[in-house]
Amino acid sequence: MEHTSALERVLRGAALSAVVLFFMFPIFWIVLMSFQTNETILRSPPSMVFEPTLSNYVALITGRLETQAGSLDIDFMRNLMNSVILSVSSVALALVLGVPAAYAFARHKFRGSEDIAFTLLSFRFAPPLLVLLPLTLYFQQIGLADTYVGLVWVYQLICLPLILWIVRGYFEDISPDVEHAYRIAGHGWGATFMKIALPLAGPGIAAAGLLAFIFAWNNFIFALVLASADKQPVTVGALAFVTASGIQYGQIAAAVVLSIAPTLALALYAQRYLVEGLSLGAVKG
Amino acid sequence: MTVAADPLPVKRRMRVSRKALPYLLSLPALLVCIGILIPFFTAVWYSLQRYRLSQPWNRGMNWGENYIDFLTDPSFWNTLKVSLLYAGLTVTFQLILGLAIALLLQKRTRLNNLISIMLLMPLMTAPALAALMFKLMTNPNFGILSYFAQSIGFTDFRWGASPDTALFTVILVDIWVYTPFIMILLLAGLRSLPTQPFEAAALDGVPRFQQFWRITLPMLTPHILTASLFRLLESIQQFDIIYAMTQGGPGDTLMVFQVEAYLNFFQSTNVGRSAALLIILWAITFFLSNIFIKNWLRLRERARGGV
Amino acid sequence: MSGLTISNLTKRYKSDTVLDDISLEIAEGETLVLFGPSGAGKTVLLRCIAGAVDPEAGTIAIGGTDMTDVPPEGRGVGMAFQNFALFPHMTAFDNIASPLTARRFGREKIRSGVEAVAKLLKIDHVLSHAPKALSNGQKQRTALARALAAQPKMLLLDDPLRNVDAKLRFEMRLELPRLLSEQGATVIYVTQDYKEAMALADKIAVLVEGRIIQMGTPEDIYLRPADIRIAEQFGDPAINLLEVTPERDAQGNFVSLSKKRVELGPGYDSAVGRPCILGVRPEAIGFSGGAEAIEVTIEAETPFNEKTVTLATTKGGREILISRPAGTPAPASGTAGIDIDASAAVLFDQETGRRIEPGSDKTRARDAA
Repeated sequence: MEHTSALERVLRGAALSAVVLFFMFPIFWIVLMSFQTNETILRSPPSMVFEPTLSNYVALITGRLETQAGSLDIDFMRNLMNSVILSVSSVALALVLGVPAAYAFARHKFRGSEDIAFTLLSFRFAPPLLVLLPLTLYFQQIGLADTYVGLVWVYQLICLPLILWIVRGYFEDISPDVEHAYRIAGHGWGATFMKIALPLAGPGIAAAGLLAFIFAWNNFIFALVLASADKQPVTVGALAFVTASGIQYGQIAAAVVLSIAPTLALALYAQRYLVEGLSLGAVKG
Repeated sequence: MTVAADPLPVKRRMRVSRKALPYLLSLPALLVCIGILIPFFTAVWYSLQRYRLSQPWNRGMNWGENYIDFLTDPSFWNTLKVSLLYAGLTVTFQLILGLAIALLLQKRTRLNNLISIMLLMPLMTAPALAALMFKLMTNPNFGILSYFAQSIGFTDFRWGASPDTALFTVILVDIWVYTPFIMILLLAGLRSLPTQPFEAAALDGVPRFQQFWRITLPMLTPHILTASLFRLLESIQQFDIIYAMTQGGPGDTLMVFQVEAYLNFFQSTNVGRSAALLIILWAITFFLSNIFIKNWLRLRERARGGV
Repeated sequence: MSGLTISNLTKRYKSDTVLDDISLEIAEGETLVLFGPSGAGKTVLLRCIAGAVDPEAGTIAIGGTDMTDVPPEGRGVGMAFQNFALFPHMTAFDNIASPLTARRFGREKIRSGVEAVAKLLKIDHVLSHAPKALSNGQKQRTALARALAAQPKMLLLDDPLRNVDAKLRFEMRLELPRLLSEQGATVIYVTQDYKEAMALADKIAVLVEGRIIQMGTPEDIYLRPADIRIAEQFGDPAINLLEVTPERDAQGNFVSLSKKRVELGPGYDSAVGRPCILGVRPEAIGFSGGAEAIEVTIEAETPFNEKTVTLATTKGGREILISRPAGTPAPASGTAGIDIDASAAVLFDQETGRRIEPGSDKTRARDAA
């Protein structure tokens, strides 16, 4: 229907190329860097031609870095493990806590339900340090400081509002009549929840879980404040790694690649639901 | 029919317990709520105290003194200025850029969809790690961006290391990470617009440039408002990118609220001042988030109603 | 024995009273049709009976057992929803089987039960399909089969023919009465279609704005509507409503239409001199050449299958619909004369809209005084 002139098409193409270049180049460059030795990285002018090496990844995975000056222990794999433990358990807990609550909020308008939902939402936008700093002092008193349990609890601050609001939207999309029909057929509310509500909201719950996982994985400030070295996830660990390893740029790049790869992969997998998730259910993709 | 009419066992349950069920289901969420509110009120309490971890003997209420001190404290005003500047600039650039990209990608072609999926990648990168990536790219010895800057004549461009360019550098990272956020929200908004007004305008011969100002923009306003408020709320509290890039430096160039509060707490161990800073930041975000939530709810209502 | 007893049922949504002090009783095995305009509260009442909605006040007893506080799964009713409400992730078979699995029947019993009811409703060939793959008519039958599967004592049917096409609606309207009587269940049937109501009902309850304004046999409702709104809803073509003021002379009560006298029965003394509305069914008007006939101008004729409807205007400009059986001779075009069968006419108070009962106690008492 539109008639586009040749000039317009060229300009459009140029603009799109610039956009793709700007947003893709940093990732591309870091990936290239992760396959280079320090010598090729430090060449000037920089060149795309080099002999790829897996040595950076090998060093990270074995945890030992051999240099002329001697060998250096790298704990990066532990950071990766911590990220997995923290993100998976946070999302699991958020699902267990959040899905029934989302169901209650979607189906029963009871006194205080909106207050709870909105308090959680508004603290999603409050400065995280406001809650974190008093918590560090409390955690030290009750022995939760530097424990997975304590961290997973705090991670609910990100995961729970997300799950609650997205999943609530999916439950609201299910016609209440479908649930009524199942109960009238003679099934209790528990069976109705398990056999009707959960399967029908299933894809939405899965998407919300994936998103919550991505946000938990990418979180930096919670672990920075509350975790010591052996509990730190990759976000904090990679930064500490820079300080510790100094000039091992190839390994740093490889560490960054390993740290962002899981979330990028998940994002591509769940991209259909990302728009809805990122806007907390306000926009459908 | 062969099925016997077996009666169901009549389950008699009190009306009270049926009413209690939703409360029971949401109890865990309520607990988390309380778990948030307790430290929040503790922070309010700390902010009214003279409280340094290094001087426990000196602890005591000083009521509003922490706040009153801010009035004459140049570093507080610097914090406020830098935070607002950072938030204002990032959101402005991201909005313009995000809207432009969304308009470029509006048509549902396979290439456009592919690009919009590719653009999700920066958004899914942890901001702290994105800052680290840019730190490597701006490394004076081998950073590719440093090399580019040099080759176009900026021989002494020191990126995050110099007070003159540090703000530019962190804003660049923020734009890289978060422009796709605004872009995909606006793209979804654009693609959900009804087509009739555009067809009518095209029939009337309204030029496309005017269509944009007169139809697209007004109809997209709820999305624009929601997306930019969302970003503004996060941007004014930015911590990850700035802390990972420069830890608030050089000097106090990038001492935004949360970085300043973090350093006050952990380096100067001044709990009272740190808490007071955060309460002020909270007040700003609370004000913004109320406007945001209102807009967001309206948009959400519309999305749900459109099913 | 009582199939269903509802006493003083009230339901509010915020400040809106949706059901206002509803009381009714149906005998076991009877079919009650809830009739009324949309928004009258029919569906809410049905949901209250099913237990899907909790009323604010009042009690519901099914088969003599108080069910007010019993959750839906314990009430043993079957219900078909207007929007079908099939379980989208289950096959038609599993949909229909759901009341049977709830009763923890064995596999064989479930299979035979589902197949029997599916055969009855002619959907046995689509049992393995998901609801998405069913036509609207098949969905409707699946929903009905699900409601019937466990042979409940009480069947609630919420306008089940609303969302199906005209042909299927016609078929089902013929089929349903037999089907329902075979079940032997007490049935509550919601509809906005008066023909459906007349065809199915033992009793009709007319619901307007949350109140039952009339309850009676179909004949009652049609011939003696309690309210002008009911009279308007029942009948196609619609009843003629003529503004009149009854008068009285030595020969009795009458109204004049185009200066012609139309006799009213003797019981209408109280209406004399009051502005009223005369309701005359189109089939109670006949063409006639007599001297007493009212002269009308024929405007249009619409033939239906079984009848022909004529639109005519009187000299005073009133529009009148006249219905005559198909095949009877047509009046000459232009002008014609009509006769009104006054015995089949009803009179409404213009102000309240209520029907004026001929010879009610009140008028007789006043006559005596």
